[in-house]
Amino acid sequence: MHILKWEIKAQFKTLLIWSVVFIVLIFMMTSEFSAYYDNPEMSDVLEAMPEGMLKAFSMENANLTTTTGYISLVALYFYIMVGVYAVLLGNGIIAKEERDKTAEFLLTLPVSRRKLLFIKWLAALINTILLSLVIFAATTAAMQPYDLDQAFFKFLTQITVSCFIIMLIFLSIGYLMASVLKRYKSSGKLSAVLVFFLYLANDIMALSDKLEFMKYLTPFKYFEAQKILKEGSLDTTYLIISGGIVIVSMITAFIIYPKRDIKI
Amino acid sequence: MNVIELNQLTKYYGKSRGIEQVTLDVKEGEIFGFIGPNGAGKSTTIRTMLGLLYPDSGTAKIFGKDCFMSGPEIRQEIGYLPSEVFYYDKMKVIDLLNYTAGFFKNKNSKVKMRELAEIMELDLKKRIEDLSYGNKKKVGIVQGLMHSPKLIVLDEPTSGLDPLMQQKFFDIIKKENQNGASVFFSSHILAEVQSLCNRVAIIKDGQIIKVDDIKSMREDNYKKVTLKGNQIPSDQFINLQGVTNIHHVDRELKFFYKGDINQLTHLVSQNSLKDVLIEEPTLEEIFMHYYR
Repeated sequence: MHILKWEIKAQFKTLLIWSVVFIVLIFMMTSEFSAYYDNPEMSDVLEAMPEGMLKAFSMENANLTTTTGYISLVALYFYIMVGVYAVLLGNGIIAKEERDKTAEFLLTLPVSRRKLLFIKWLAALINTILLSLVIFAATTAAMQPYDLDQAFFKFLTQITVSCFIIMLIFLSIGYLMASVLKRYKSSGKLSAVLVFFLYLANDIMALSDKLEFMKYLTPFKYFEAQKILKEGSLDTTYLIISGGIVIVSMITAFIIYPKRDIKI
Repeated sequence: MNVIELNQLTKYYGKSRGIEQVTLDVKEGEIFGFIGPNGAGKSTTIRTMLGLLYPDSGTAKIFGKDCFMSGPEIRQEIGYLPSEVFYYDKMKVIDLLNYTAGFFKNKNSKVKMRELAEIMELDLKKRIEDLSYGNKKKVGIVQGLMHSPKLIVLDEPTSGLDPLMQQKFFDIIKKENQNGASVFFSSHILAEVQSLCNRVAIIKDGQIIKVDDIKSMREDNYKKVTLKGNQIPSDQFINLQGVTNIHHVDRELKFFYKGDINQLTHLVSQNSLKDVLIEEPTLEEIFMHYYR
């Protein structure tokens, strides 16, 4: 229990910074929304835009004049940010011990590496839950001036859950990379590059129907906000794939990390 | 009973050598010295014993249990002080030590922590990042010994400690040993090992060259002698019994001497010299002498 407490405390400052960034960003975004809310002229402007352009900005189904429509548009930015946060968290929570050379202290204490991995995972999980709650609360607070109905809260909950699952996926990927790769410096960079690559893949896919087969490759595609808004629920197939990624990453890390040499 | 048993322990870092077929045992209650120059494989041996590194072949047992199968259980009874200590910078010393205590079953560790901190004059309220190298080392000593381990593993423990603290540290180690702890003491400083240890293993280029009683090592008590002067009668010194490894360059004569020190000083006093140095040879020089 004392290890968990310390790990949460050690990550607290980072969580706080990210929370502040999210809160500021959410309020900035929603302040812009006042120009679109219930504004029929804006709908006309959007309708007049070429379809290709709307697709490129993932705006093809978005109705910017409604609260849910607006959230569906900004959700992708949430996804990218939580992706970056989670991959760095997952990677850092393992790699920091070697990076800061504290591994020689921690791993010579009477605790197994598997137990440490598990506790660190738990600490990271708690962090992601907290950040999800911050996103939900900040969005609710920022959207207060507008008429928020049950449908809005249902959709916001779905988007928050999507953010949480995306965090879980990237957390596991970062965690796996730090556990498996001996070079802790490259594992952090590689993890961050991966998030941007997957985001880029998501963007490119939107431009051509021929790239449809790539949809399983990028987790950003798993929780398309406009699709969730349209269908009213998260896609079960993608949820199963997400669970699979998390479980496989965790098991691989749990097998490899306890057996690898620690770089000191 | 053997506390440590290493058998043919071999570790490579990729293609480069770490240790090769290291075999040694440390008996319960002894202070065992492990000496060798930098890069000889001392830390690799220790880190393999502690489960930070996995050996390519061979076995390592502590308290009769396999170091890799029973790592956490074994480490309950091990206190480890590495050559360089690194802790979480933002933590206060007291928090770090309390955190460490949480890992050990010994309920008296917090009492002992205070005792040790007092002896080592360690300020528990400071943050790790504000500590000097020597003070971090003190934290390492308290952290390594607060749970009264049955085996103390020390890797170059005195670097960064001033002579007074070194002496206090050696006194603590001796006391722990008297209370039943076995000590595995790795160092490249021969004098430290000679004053503290019962037996010693010498490692060079990843291999154990010699395991011996410190007594017999002491009998091989070589001195390094340097004479400076305009006209050194080198023949007189070279012919002295017990003189080896002679180097005569310009106005300087260097040699190793093992024998009656009075004979040497007598000869020195009969000659007009500018300077005389009689020193402990470095470990490297002993290696050069023995194992060339």
